Amino acid sequence: MALHSSMLTWVNAAGLAESLYFIIALPLLGAFISGVFGRLLGRANVNLLATAAVAGSFMLSLLVFAAINNAGVTAPNPFGDAVPYALGHDYGTWFAAGGFRVNFGLAVDHLSGTLLLVITGVGTLIHLYSTSYMEHDEGYWRFFAYLNLFVAMMLTLVMADNLVLLFVGWEGVGMCSYLLIGFWYKNPAYAFAGRKAFITNRVGDFGFLLGSFLLVLMVAALPAQAPSQAGRLEAGAAQVGPLNLRGVGALATALPYSAAKAPGAEVTLESRVASGPLAGFTYGGVLTAALLLFLLGAAGKSAQVPLYVWLPDAMAGPTPVSALIHAATMVTAGVYLFCRLSPLLVLSPAAMATVALIGGTTALLAALIAFTQNDIKKVLAYSTVSQLGLMFLGVGVGAFWAAAFHLVTHAFFKACLFLGAGSVMHGNGDETDIQKLGGLRKEMKVTWATFAVATLAITGVVPLSGFFSKDAILHAAHTHVVPGFEGAMHVAYALGLLTALSTAFYMTRAYVLAFEGERSKDAKVPHAHESAAAMTAPLVVLAVLSVLGAAWAFPLLPGTHEPVFENFLLPVFSVTEQVRAAAGTVLVPDHAGLPWGAYVQAWVIALIGAGSAFFLYTRFFPSRAGQPLPAALAFARNLSRNKFYADELYEAVLIRPLKFVARLAYQVLDALVIDTVAVRGTAWVTAQVGSALRLIQTGDVQAYAAIMAAAALGGIVYALSRVMP
Amino acid sequence: MIPLTHHLILAAVLFCIGMAGVLVRRNALVVFMSIELMLNAANLTFLAFARDRADAAGHASAFFIIAVAAAEAAIGLAIVISVFRSRGTINMDELRTLRN
Repeated sequence: MALHSSMLTWVNAAGLAESLYFIIALPLLGAFISGVFGRLLGRANVNLLATAAVAGSFMLSLLVFAAINNAGVTAPNPFGDAVPYALGHDYGTWFAAGGFRVNFGLAVDHLSGTLLLVITGVGTLIHLYSTSYMEHDEGYWRFFAYLNLFVAMMLTLVMADNLVLLFVGWEGVGMCSYLLIGFWYKNPAYAFAGRKAFITNRVGDFGFLLGSFLLVLMVAALPAQAPSQAGRLEAGAAQVGPLNLRGVGALATALPYSAAKAPGAEVTLESRVASGPLAGFTYGGVLTAALLLFLLGAAGKSAQVPLYVWLPDAMAGPTPVSALIHAATMVTAGVYLFCRLSPLLVLSPAAMATVALIGGTTALLAALIAFTQNDIKKVLAYSTVSQLGLMFLGVGVGAFWAAAFHLVTHAFFKACLFLGAGSVMHGNGDETDIQKLGGLRKEMKVTWATFAVATLAITGVVPLSGFFSKDAILHAAHTHVVPGFEGAMHVAYALGLLTALSTAFYMTRAYVLAFEGERSKDAKVPHAHESAAAMTAPLVVLAVLSVLGAAWAFPLLPGTHEPVFENFLLPVFSVTEQVRAAAGTVLVPDHAGLPWGAYVQAWVIALIGAGSAFFLYTRFFPSRAGQPLPAALAFARNLSRNKFYADELYEAVLIRPLKFVARLAYQVLDALVIDTVAVRGTAWVTAQVGSALRLIQTGDVQAYAAIMAAAALGGIVYALSRVMP
Repeated sequence: MIPLTHHLILAAVLFCIGMAGVLVRRNALVVFMSIELMLNAANLTFLAFARDRADAAGHASAFFIIAVAAAEAAIGLAIVISVFRSRGTINMDELRTLRN
């Protein structure tokens, strides 16, 4: 990002914009070749091919990222105003009906450019790691084909310039997630986990679709009611369609928040829709409904309450998959979606408060469950759910840049933690129970060091990246004011602080149990062995990134102006800022004068959590091993260990009734109506008619001929009777 | 010149005689001959129209029918002979193998 523009004059921006699809095509081609010819090519070739495909995408992404930081680059823009720092290309119409058009369009701006680097960069490291991790697996070619396909779909998701194409990527990553969770499908529990993830996601995807439909209906209702306001919207919509991401921004600017804020406007969010299927509802109400439906979609993909239950079970997949899909990239798609919908979100304080509370609740709930999990991957899975909750909290309070920043830093340290956990499993005979590990510090030095750095990062210790990104969210939750929803924001802030405390505790617990102390007597292998270089190298790179990621937040320190990353994302969120300023829904205080106290407070929280866990698990609990807990504590521990009985609750409230209805439908509709009456009934009638007609089949050719002759005669007589007068 | 209708009536009569033969006679050879009669009734109709309209296409069609009838006669007689060899009869009433 520090590249000077004069160094980049050799980049042909227009040509680069047309070639954006190469970034997606490379891993897609890799997936095709690995999937179809992988078995013929052999292990080494597939490893090379799959890793090179993603690495090639990374190189192209670097080029694009460099180009969009050149101030001279401007995307071809349907609205007539300049969009600096973006590349985009419209490959043509996908489908169109009247004024509604959906295009194949790719665009890269600072947000999607950053995500491109994360996806392809972390993706390359994880591919490299997988070449060693999957070295004994027979299905290597299938694994790399799915992994490449996933990367292609994820890139489609972040590069799409409209919601429909984004949805293609959204569904694609969901499918790859399903395929990879159930990768070892011969184990029924793993296959079940894959189905659970897929079905839970389908619930959310339904919300996504309905939200899109509501947006289209709203755009369709606007022009008749407010021709002057809609002029700008229509000019854009005719070219790019209402579901284009820039169309979303145009819609947000075309709708004033209230009549008081925009006197003389024909339509505001308070006025009612005059015609069409939405007639009678207010624009603001429809907008809030659409955003809540999108929230349902994002909750499915990003594992938020109430659809978070699939992510912990998704750990059934190979560990690199958990690191890439279920920590670094796919699960952050919901946060990305809301960053893209941010111009609309700031028009609906109710939706913002809901997002913030959902995020805060998820963050704390998952953190509390993570306290007592003993499977190292489960701890990390609940930690991911919790951190995603924090990102949603950031989105909900209007700190979109902070959510995106936490997304990036989380991708680094959580991928590092997951790959570290994979390395631990690889060196300990696939042992995942942290109570049966211990003492790995001396035996797996690189894994230990990188895991420790990543743990410090997620704990939020200064000066690692996790501190800055998490604190940016908490700071925003503390200082942003959403008029009318102050109480909800206070609750969200409190939830965020408690989450920070819990995160420090459970991550330190997992670290201490796995790496410190003496080696457990229950360990599967007497001595752990350090993993190969292909596995440790990505760990080191990710650990370094977990530290360096902080650089993007440095000017947040007192006495300076806005952070690097916020400044960097300004072109992306400029429309959002305009809409927010006009509507007055979120009041953002000036950065200047941020007290040191806020930093001290966050640091103290992290140290209390981490310190108490360190003390308890290195000094206190080992000496009390085998002794019973007080009743209240045991109750709390069982509650947490059983995940607050969420799965059992869903089983009783949702799955059982659903299965009952399904059984009813099966027995009445399927077995009785369709099978018995429709299918077998038809066969029975045909058979009966056939056996009745059998009697006239005498086998006498002359009788047949007589019937033929009689019929022909009848035909002739009839014809003659029609032509003769 | 004999009018067209006379030819057509003759052809219709021949056709009906042939059809009656097919339907009522029991000897397969006679049925066979009746079929030939029907074919020739059709031939006569073609020729009558061909002459009436001075169109050579009708003559050509008649030649085709004669050729087809010759082929059919060859195959039909072969079938009759082989049926007689295997069953010892060519009585139509006893040939009911179409029914099971």
